[in-house]
Amino acid sequence: MAHTKKSNSQLFFNGILSENPIFRLALSMCPAVGISTSVMNGILLGVAVLFVQLFSSCTISAIKNYIHPRIRIPTYTLTIATWVTVIDLVLAAYVPAAYKEMGIFVKLIVAFAIITMRLEMFAAKNPLIPSFWDAVGMGLGFLFGMVTLGAVREILGSGTLLGFDLLGAKPLLFFILPAAGFFVVGFMMAIYNYMDLVFKRMKEKKG
Amino acid sequence: MKQILRITIGLIISCLAAGTIMGSAYVFTAKAKKHNEHQKEQDTMLGLLGYSKGKPAPSALKLYSIYRYVIDEKGSRYLGYIFPVKKGSDLGYGLLVITLEGKFQAYHELKISTDQTLDAAERGKALAATLKGAASFVYSDETVVASLDGKRLAYLLPGHFQGFKTFIKVMLAVDPGYNILGLEIMEHEEDPGLGGDIVQDFFKNQFKNKSYQKLKQLDVVKEPLPEEYRKALEVKKGSMSPEEVQRIRAKYQDNDIYALTGATISSKAVTDGVKGMVKRFAYRVERLERVVQSQKLPAAF
Repeated sequence: MAHTKKSNSQLFFNGILSENPIFRLALSMCPAVGISTSVMNGILLGVAVLFVQLFSSCTISAIKNYIHPRIRIPTYTLTIATWVTVIDLVLAAYVPAAYKEMGIFVKLIVAFAIITMRLEMFAAKNPLIPSFWDAVGMGLGFLFGMVTLGAVREILGSGTLLGFDLLGAKPLLFFILPAAGFFVVGFMMAIYNYMDLVFKRMKEKKG
Repeated sequence: MKQILRITIGLIISCLAAGTIMGSAYVFTAKAKKHNEHQKEQDTMLGLLGYSKGKPAPSALKLYSIYRYVIDEKGSRYLGYIFPVKKGSDLGYGLLVITLEGKFQAYHELKISTDQTLDAAERGKALAATLKGAASFVYSDETVVASLDGKRLAYLLPGHFQGFKTFIKVMLAVDPGYNILGLEIMEHEEDPGLGGDIVQDFFKNQFKNKSYQKLKQLDVVKEPLPEEYRKALEVKKGSMSPEEVQRIRAKYQDNDIYALTGATISSKAVTDGVKGMVKRFAYRVERLERVVQSQKLPAAF
């Protein structure tokens, strides 16, 4: 088994920066584009994904030696579906107000590419502790991406932030529409790539 | 062959484990979920009576639930009503059985607490114990009587009827003269943007203050909703004075329901559903009342 050589903190920031699921890996674009119309939506879905990723990664990492390689994908799906159902039930029972807003999205998490991909690429090959940090990093990276997208689109589209009126007008209604999600994702990717370039140059100069 | 067995056993075990986890999560959350639903219903009821967070309901306001059952005994059919009765200073529950023609049949006292009446299974147990297994019964519906200082304020009717696709669950408030106080859509699966607009203020508020006389022959009209009426129906803070809203709403009070554009079936379903609910309710409650009064039962409502 290929154990990772990265330290836990590197794993943690890996998910947020250099391998951010939305802006670098371009995974789970459907929900990212469809739902990030406001910051609140972004936070709710991001937090739900964070927990599903965390529980699933830990489960798979703990039982990886017992999974027959032929049925690993069904097992991943089953694991994700289980945790999504549990989180769905818990949210419905204890935070009904938030659940009313995000209920339909939570059930969709089963099909998120990012979670399956992290299980296959990382949790199935690494011990529990690194998998935990990888999951937290990836989950937070997704949350960060959703919040950023949500903020940009909410400010530009409806002139508010978290429901508070900022601009008093709706500057560009276009940004609320799904197509604009791709615009914002594109710009964010460009920023990420540019930052990457800048960091690399800085490193070269130092070296 | 060995592989197949290993894979099969592996899958069975993981499915069993997943099922156990989901099952226990359900068991742990079921109670809280039920409580939430009950809370939501209570909030909707109070909302329909005009109370909200800013204007809390007075403590003298009491909500009494009446549960109706259909009872089959030895080939004949009866209606059974579980309702709260006065028992000293406390509330007890009684079961009144009447014939379909509205004649008194029997009255039993039930051993059940107010909390237990909220649970359908507990009510069933109490009923089975009282009827001693000689009769079978089916739960039919619930009516909530709201009374303030001993005066009857309103009836709240949770109910459902067929919509365009599936059932529309509603909560209806009517005053003692069966005039509509308000309508709230609890659950529906109409098309978003078309029939889904039945939840919008400009549709559901049209039912507000419709008199029982008008309601009996209420219909939908396929005309555009007049602009001033729409504004008065979905009034937000400050956009219109309360007197203005009152005046405009009163002007259209005796009109039919304006159908939603592109969703005539949904509009008609809600209108007919509400009409049917109130008419049936008025018929039933008058019969029940007659029996309760003629038998001098200590009903709490």
